Amino acid sequence: MSDDQVTIEVDGISLPAKKGQMVMEVTDDAGIYIPRFCYHAKLSVAANCRMCLVEVEKAPKPLPACATPVAEGMKISTKSPAAIAAQRATMEFLLINHPLDCPICDQGGECELQDLAMGYGRDISRYNEGKRVVADKDIGPLVSTDMTRCIHCTRCVRFTEEIAGFQELGTMGRGEDMKIGTYVEKAVNHELSGNIIDLCPVGALNSKPFRYRARAWEMIQQATVSPHDSFGSNMFAHVKQGRLMRVVPQPNDEINETWLSDRDRFSYDGIYSTDRVIKPLLRIDGEFRETEWSTVLEQVSDRLQQTDAAKIGFLSSPGATVEESFLLQRIARGLGTNNIDHRLQARDLGDSDNDPVQPHIGTDIVSLESADAIAVIGSDLRREVPMLAHRVRKAALAGATVSFINPPGQQYQFSHQYLATELTQLRAALGALIGAAEVATGKIAPDSVAQRVDRQSHDETHRAVAESLAQGERSHILLGHLAQRHPAFTQIRALASVLADMTGATIGFIPESANAAGASLVGVLPHRGAGGEPVATPGLNARQMLADALDAYVLFGFEPEVDTVEGAQAVETLRNANFVVVMSPWLSEQALEYADVILPIGTFAETAGTYVNLEGRWQSFSGVATPVGEARPGWKVLRVLANYLHLDAFDYNDALEVTVAAREAVPVELQDYRIGPMPSMDGADFGDDLMPAPISLYGSDSLVRRSRPLQRTPLARGVGES
Amino acid sequence: MNEKTTRTVALSDHAREVIDHWVAKFPEGRQRSAVIEALRVVQHDNKGYLTADLMDAVADYIDVPRIQVYEVAAFYSIFETEPCGEHHISVCTNISCHLRGSQEIVDHIEKKLGVKTGESTPDGKFFLKREEECLAACVNAPMMMIDHVYYEHLTPEKVDDILDKIE
Amino acid sequence: MSAHGLTDMSMIRNWSKTLLLTELRSGLAVTLRNMLRPKVTVRYPEEKTPQSPRFRGLHAQRRYPNGEERCIACKLCEAVCPALAITIESDMRDDGTRRTTRYDIDLFKCIYCGFCEEACPVDAIVETRIHEYHMENRGENIMTKDKLLAVGDRYEAMIAADKAADSQYR
Repeated sequence: MSDDQVTIEVDGISLPAKKGQMVMEVTDDAGIYIPRFCYHAKLSVAANCRMCLVEVEKAPKPLPACATPVAEGMKISTKSPAAIAAQRATMEFLLINHPLDCPICDQGGECELQDLAMGYGRDISRYNEGKRVVADKDIGPLVSTDMTRCIHCTRCVRFTEEIAGFQELGTMGRGEDMKIGTYVEKAVNHELSGNIIDLCPVGALNSKPFRYRARAWEMIQQATVSPHDSFGSNMFAHVKQGRLMRVVPQPNDEINETWLSDRDRFSYDGIYSTDRVIKPLLRIDGEFRETEWSTVLEQVSDRLQQTDAAKIGFLSSPGATVEESFLLQRIARGLGTNNIDHRLQARDLGDSDNDPVQPHIGTDIVSLESADAIAVIGSDLRREVPMLAHRVRKAALAGATVSFINPPGQQYQFSHQYLATELTQLRAALGALIGAAEVATGKIAPDSVAQRVDRQSHDETHRAVAESLAQGERSHILLGHLAQRHPAFTQIRALASVLADMTGATIGFIPESANAAGASLVGVLPHRGAGGEPVATPGLNARQMLADALDAYVLFGFEPEVDTVEGAQAVETLRNANFVVVMSPWLSEQALEYADVILPIGTFAETAGTYVNLEGRWQSFSGVATPVGEARPGWKVLRVLANYLHLDAFDYNDALEVTVAAREAVPVELQDYRIGPMPSMDGADFGDDLMPAPISLYGSDSLVRRSRPLQRTPLARGVGES
Repeated sequence: MNEKTTRTVALSDHAREVIDHWVAKFPEGRQRSAVIEALRVVQHDNKGYLTADLMDAVADYIDVPRIQVYEVAAFYSIFETEPCGEHHISVCTNISCHLRGSQEIVDHIEKKLGVKTGESTPDGKFFLKREEECLAACVNAPMMMIDHVYYEHLTPEKVDDILDKIE
Repeated sequence: MSAHGLTDMSMIRNWSKTLLLTELRSGLAVTLRNMLRPKVTVRYPEEKTPQSPRFRGLHAQRRYPNGEERCIACKLCEAVCPALAITIESDMRDDGTRRTTRYDIDLFKCIYCGFCEEACPVDAIVETRIHEYHMENRGENIMTKDKLLAVGDRYEAMIAADKAADSQYR
């Protein structure tokens, strides 16, 4: 036994423990339950609820298990008369001021206080005085407050301080007058704020959109995956009679731990938005008519077959599932065209052949936490992938040097180096960083770069960033959405990879939306088929397709007016096309102008599917909710459409068969991005008007844009201000 | 987020000096420890009470989240967060003073000033604090403190005398 | 032994019983005895038997004296109902209170066990003493919230009296 190992005895069972561990951690690992309210494995220890009092041999009084470090030979009883008496007494005190409003409390049925009161409470109160009443606070459109129910465990306070990074909630007053609040009335303003709902052991903090809608016991819990960013957070959907009522995190230490971003938690409201398409719509004499699926699919297949294949364009959302993407590209290629793309936001598609087959962050999420240096280039990380920003923050707190080479104005609540760089200057900043790396490492940049960028104008910050990357044993460079949407992306990528090469860092990409990685893998690309196989004659890419009108378009799961580089231009082009098929759960105003057929497909909740996340993890989920109206899962629509088109080998019986087929078509191992031939660096061939717009946290996809609670948050209203 | 732009008041040079003095006493990164002393000086400079703006100014000056300053101000009874009278009268009502008749003193002051504990006189001159913990002058109980000055061995007549002198 | 398989002795006994009308007499004796006993039947529906205040008949929803419905949509009745006869949907009313948007009891499913009444923390759902009701069309077996409240409004005096009478045993 090594020096830092001790043995303790809990209820007569001897358990191994590490020095410095608290009793609670050891008993939790061993499956011995000690009641608690304030203790949470992911937060600091506060020891203020006193529910976890246990009897320790030779200690004069019961000790809190969450704040008592283990010692060799310690003998602990969690169920001795003294321990039980202490726990019962604590419970009685906690219940003194807790209102008896369980029947109208949303926490009723899933409440830690309710459960523990069953185990440790008296059935009748001995307290006859008046109970305390605390005014409720308005802390925004996401979290409802009933502060009279608060038992002052301070989990929410510690969350804002330790996880969100900036303390917004605090404890006011003392003794009986103690209250949790913000002091000045204001909304809690953070992209992870919804987690305080899960943390609250009582009904003081609850979900506002879900308020009074359903009971815990009447919903069915089904596992699903976040459809909004490439982090792939695991979630549970709570479904009542086929309707998705709310979303809560599914703990997974390898991905989202126990957290969930607000975007994932509250976007479900958009599923039941009033502009859902409930029946297939077909334009007849300029008017949209509700039509049967069979009629409309026949129309679509006839029109597509009548059109010259080279004049059909397929555009798909990077948020489409692997199955949908795979089938869509099979249909496109079955019809004989390579005009298919999912890179709707990419401005620079010049060096596509050197794209990684599967974009990923170059490491896995857990390892990122123990990195030595991380440089984030061209990314509004907190808005792009909030949970990844959380992991990067954890890395920084653990000692990693985190640098941002980003447009000015972003805030990160940990020590970091911030190289404020306007997007137009991103290439220059990378040139300076390469120069700084030459100083730091003594290596010389390759000629292809050396002649093309100014490497001399580096200042202290550049040198500090380059040094941290060079010195760190495990350094990572991450290219974010802003970089990938940049009009000179291929050059930025090449420069970043030179920088990575010189400093020994890995280079990674943060894939857009939920499944850009999957879409790329299964070949929703004009120049590559499934598995990255190059095609003989590359088709048109997204920008080319939307610049000049083709004869027919098939749009899958996105809104061209907002989800493409030049929305207005895209709408104009589509309006000039002969035949536009829109597959979307919602009917946007603009779609009425350009669409000829609108096929209602299911949202992520109504379809089975698979997303590939930013570390290359394939995560499949099944449909959790009943589709709204006659909407059908996207993969089913595509599969039946393929039958109408008489394409071969489209006889999938369920989503799993499609998943297996897609999986078989792509390589399993991740490939690192390798520097290809240096793309041209000539001239400033892009203008400010083509620079990507600031990342909009709650404007990222159609579903989020339709979530009323998210749109009411200060973060949604403040888009573009920072 | 830290909305540093919404603040409207600034700290006086004197207050800054005192705060710097206290911040320097604590290890680097532990400036949160100086919040109490910072609030004391700011409250003193502002006729005996704190406003949200002043607390924001303190928080921004010593670089801690604003909420942590609010927490301290709300916790300690020495800090007032509502406008109150200029002269703070705190009568000790703890056990020693209580046994020596502090309740009689409180009743007398309430009657004389026409306010209850926790209220200020309408002219804004006096503020009778809601409660005061032991001020360690038990040997000369009953006692009270007005503007940091101790008055001991109190009788109603003596209290009249003291208050009239301030008036 | 005779052809009928009876002994001579028992044949004689049977004859004498028949001749003397013994069985008829004993039967008439029962009739006579009961004619003199007090009668136990009532002439329903003109006459009615007394009911317990705990009688479990048609359901009703009650209101507070100020006219506000009592039900707070806690769904405990729905959870406890062994016949799954209750369906509730809830939402926040405009004034911020928790209310039902739908409260249906299927009288065909209901087994009149009274658990809903027992579970209710605010005495909103009750079973009244009304037992004479019928349906003529499909769908009338569903007691909607409006119908339940209407029953409650009409019989509030009776419900309140029954509750008061029973309260000392609770």
